[in-house]
Amino acid sequence: MLNLYSHPSGGYCDGVSRRNFLKIGGLAMGGLSLNDVLRAETAQSTGKSHKAVIMIFLPGGPSHQDMFDMKPDAPSEIRGEFKPISTNVPGIQICEHLPRLAKMMDKCTLIRSLADCDSRHDAFQCLTGRNSKQQPPGGWPSLGSIVSRLQGGTNPAMPPFVGLAPKMGHMEWARTGEPGFLGVAHAPFQPNRGGGTEDMSLRGITLDRLRDRKSLLSSFDNLRRDLDSTGLMGGVDVFNEQALNVLTSPKLLHALDLSREDPRVIERYGKGENRNRDDGGPRLPEHFLAARRLVEAGARVVTLAFSRWDYHSDNFGQLREDLPLLDSGLTALIADLHERGMDQDVSVVVWGEFGRTPMINAKGGRDHWPRVASALLACGGMRHGQVIGATDKQAGEPTERPVAFGEVFATLYKQMGIDVTKATLTDLTGRPQYLVDGHLPMAELV
Amino acid sequence: MTLSRLTLIAALSATAPCFAAETLRPLNFANDIVPILTKGGCNSGGCHGKSGGQNGFKLSLLGFEPQEDYDHIVMEARGRRVFPASAEQSLLLTKGTAQLPHGGGKKLDPNSEDYADLARWIREGMPYGKDSDPKMASISVEPAKLTLPLKAVQQLKVTAHYTDGSTRDVTKRALYEANEKAMAETSEAGRVQLFDLPGDVAVMVRYQGKVSTFRATVPLGAPVEKLPASRGFVDDLVFAKLKTIGMPPSDIADDGTFIRRVTLDITGRLPTAAEMKDFMASKDAAKRSVLIDRLLDSPEYAEYFANKWSALLRNQRTQPNFARGSYLFYSWIRDSIADNKPYDQFVREVVSASGDLDQNPPVAWYRQVKEMKQQMEDVAQLFLGTRMQCAQCHHHPFEKWSQQDYYGFAAFFSNVSRKPSTFAGEEMIFNKRGVAQTTNIRTKEAVTPTSLGGTALNLKPEQDPRRALAEWMSQKDNAFFAHTLVNRYWKHFFNRGLVEPEDDMRETNPPVNPELLSALAADFVKNGYDLKKLIRTITNSTTYQLSAVPNTYNAKDRQNFSRYYPKRLNAEVLYDSVNTLLDVQTSFAGQAPGTRAVALPDNSYNQSTYFLSVFGRPDSSSACECERTQEASLAQSLHLLNAAEIQTQLSRGNGRADTLTKDTRPDDDKISDLYHIALSRDPNAAEVTFARSHLDKKTAGKAGDEASKGKKEAYEDILWALLNTKEFLFNH
Repeated sequence: MLNLYSHPSGGYCDGVSRRNFLKIGGLAMGGLSLNDVLRAETAQSTGKSHKAVIMIFLPGGPSHQDMFDMKPDAPSEIRGEFKPISTNVPGIQICEHLPRLAKMMDKCTLIRSLADCDSRHDAFQCLTGRNSKQQPPGGWPSLGSIVSRLQGGTNPAMPPFVGLAPKMGHMEWARTGEPGFLGVAHAPFQPNRGGGTEDMSLRGITLDRLRDRKSLLSSFDNLRRDLDSTGLMGGVDVFNEQALNVLTSPKLLHALDLSREDPRVIERYGKGENRNRDDGGPRLPEHFLAARRLVEAGARVVTLAFSRWDYHSDNFGQLREDLPLLDSGLTALIADLHERGMDQDVSVVVWGEFGRTPMINAKGGRDHWPRVASALLACGGMRHGQVIGATDKQAGEPTERPVAFGEVFATLYKQMGIDVTKATLTDLTGRPQYLVDGHLPMAELV
Repeated sequence: MTLSRLTLIAALSATAPCFAAETLRPLNFANDIVPILTKGGCNSGGCHGKSGGQNGFKLSLLGFEPQEDYDHIVMEARGRRVFPASAEQSLLLTKGTAQLPHGGGKKLDPNSEDYADLARWIREGMPYGKDSDPKMASISVEPAKLTLPLKAVQQLKVTAHYTDGSTRDVTKRALYEANEKAMAETSEAGRVQLFDLPGDVAVMVRYQGKVSTFRATVPLGAPVEKLPASRGFVDDLVFAKLKTIGMPPSDIADDGTFIRRVTLDITGRLPTAAEMKDFMASKDAAKRSVLIDRLLDSPEYAEYFANKWSALLRNQRTQPNFARGSYLFYSWIRDSIADNKPYDQFVREVVSASGDLDQNPPVAWYRQVKEMKQQMEDVAQLFLGTRMQCAQCHHHPFEKWSQQDYYGFAAFFSNVSRKPSTFAGEEMIFNKRGVAQTTNIRTKEAVTPTSLGGTALNLKPEQDPRRALAEWMSQKDNAFFAHTLVNRYWKHFFNRGLVEPEDDMRETNPPVNPELLSALAADFVKNGYDLKKLIRTITNSTTYQLSAVPNTYNAKDRQNFSRYYPKRLNAEVLYDSVNTLLDVQTSFAGQAPGTRAVALPDNSYNQSTYFLSVFGRPDSSSACECERTQEASLAQSLHLLNAAEIQTQLSRGNGRADTLTKDTRPDDDKISDLYHIALSRDPNAAEVTFARSHLDKKTAGKAGDEASKGKKEAYEDILWALLNTKEFLFNH
């Protein structure tokens, strides 16, 4: 049996620290079995970075036919105002307002046939891969919570799962990824929300005073740890230490503090505005950069929401404002991941909850269209420079290779080192639940 | 292909002697072929066994429906899955061995006996078998029960018994799983490897819908010379077990530890400093029993246990206009517990609730538990410790329950009906007149109410089947009802059920001390389902009063109750305790000032009070205690160490630190006070020194207001440190 407490100190060949094992041991109370620990062990990357996912949610349902699935031959009331441009992959064209992305298409995959959208204004499906109906008690856990549960943290000063979305007028868009039946221990860290994040920085307490308190605490905290053989008490110790690390040597805060970044890098991502777009999210490419910094600091899953895409009117005018910043932020992120040698380990996914109507309405907008949507994937050690699936002449129905959200999730789990045909999580009724609803990783990508 | 066929022939001839006798026996699909698919994981829920199958090939989950599997394999895919003329080219074999690309990878070794059997079955024309062929009736495992030393290895032998009296060794094709994975692991071949934890471990053995269990008792073998005095049957049975496995129990906990422990466990609050001092000073030999009685008679007992039951009975306020209903239901639960309503009556009033909220508040249970199947599943899990969910769509993999059992039990709720209540958004519940029945989705046949393991009832149309169900549950010989409750309460006090998880009681998950579970259940029934009496029995036992401090032998004990297992204060109790220590009066919307978190009526406060949600107060969304998260997390640590809310309360005028600063008594006395409130004990000399030197440091060289300010800050720091100690956070 692997003894979680008696390994020699120092790192393992896979870069997991002893402290990390202690932490996993600390979670044993919640039912983490030896198998889970071994799985967490084997899922580590051996490269310079660890496996991770950055998920960029575009709230409101971006218009697929004006971005990734252009139909220049369709009548004007369908094809709209934008023109396609060629990309660096022969045969793939995208919107003229994504010129930088066009030069990087060999590093991306477009899925043009997401076919099982849940037709609700809700980030839920993009965060869980599941339909929101028919949930087990407690609800479906999101990808980040599942990864947190199965793999734990990578280092003592970083939570494994961070959600950057702030509160929004339409809160279903502001979801960062709920833990569902896995419980609050696997909720995302939400630095742009009230509640927990206020706890992250000292207010009114100096570092000196915190040091005094820490030393008092260690003088008083004498309860014998061997009273508890479940690992919970040790777990509290580990998290307390992690919390004090967050407060005193704030790796997490530094990751979020973009002023520590090279100004030229910041500039490459583009300058956004830190205020919500109506009831949607902020148009902040800075969050893309923060996501990369968080992953570098040790996060395994980072989610964020970018702008607001529910363009029932003035679709093209609004896209003209959104697309350039999406273009700069996304391409800077992809380039960054490549330049830092993280491209084989960090998967990026960009999508919204559904597509938009082929026909442009009287107000120059497009309405909800759950029959099909597009998604973009990048990095993560996947095969890129391709388009998966196709739609009809109007970009209205998938005609080739309909893709389910669950397939994309199965792919992401596989890239995280998790086998979706084997891994299960026990729900509150005792039923083992698979991570995706029967889907397999997409052969085109992995 | 030529090469692989040669390999195959070589393999067949190499192992031929093993099959010589078997070649005479015709293969039967259900008996011989399906088990291979099960062992290979082909029909597991992650692969072809999921509803809808995988890549167009569907198998029944774990092979529970051989006839369907036969059709899928033999009839579908234009016969490409099986090809008798050249068996080795069948998709079933080329995919299974990954000679052709297979999403699931290589599941079958071409040199194995399994492969040979599959190939022979195909070559012989895929016989299904005859109706007259024997069917499997049961499996047995040898040995069934054994005492083994630490770290021992034991090979199991599994035998399938058929209707014609024949038997077959199915060791290699059975599936194995240990219930205590920290104690033992199993190999695919049925080899059990024990680790170095003493106690009892069970290995569930499954083969084609039949289950059996191997149980090992693993003694530590230490001398158990002196045992503390037994105070009744609980101690007799726990100590007997400790003797058997050779594990001496810890000493009895001191008075300070005991009053803190039992007050927290019964009332969900810390004892006051005055209570603690009186208790310590009392010379009454029976003072622990007297204390238990006093706690049980306090309103806080009813509040704390109502909090527990309110979550399990899903008293949720999902809409603002449910407030009235959730208050009424909560009050009904609390009053039932305060009145010590017999448990069978309590359950009957919930399960058979009819009418409107204000006349009969437990109808609120039906508001949250809407569907017949949900109602049945909740009742089975909550009151009968049985998880029926699996049997809705297929035979239960770990149990005897079939879909017939599932729908038969669900039929008790088939006539539950609703009509609008006089309260907006609420409903009245009533039993619709008529023959209670539902449909088994597999057989498509009607099923009438059938108790678990019982026969179908013939109820008259005017009878409410739910009353019949309550009747059956509270029969004295019911094997589920009392056992489940006593196990649930045992876990409340010991942080570990005799069966674990506490609502998953099945033959393949046996109790660690079966005699104790039976004795507790029998005693509970004999006492008329008296919950207070049960708590007295538990808390007056020497077992409950043992120290948590391990001796040389029992540090790793997690299941024999040789010492008390510490538990972290749950969200509500911790919140109240922090407020008590900081002298804060809580205030929750719509509740009287000072209402404890433990006494909140429903889940709606989790949203407004971050502390409660981050420490895992359940949302009352399931009938499982497991919804309450007891895991540690970074967010919890950050909150307790650095929450603005706590900082504000620490430094507030007239808060605890401020009061202590103004208090003119010597610092030593005030430090003692803090220890009494937080930890129910006197500080030791070292702790006083630490605290005093911190006070000195913060006041050194200061006078007047500056000195007071320094002193107040020092008390804030001391309070902060105390509330972050494990000793405060845990009940021990």
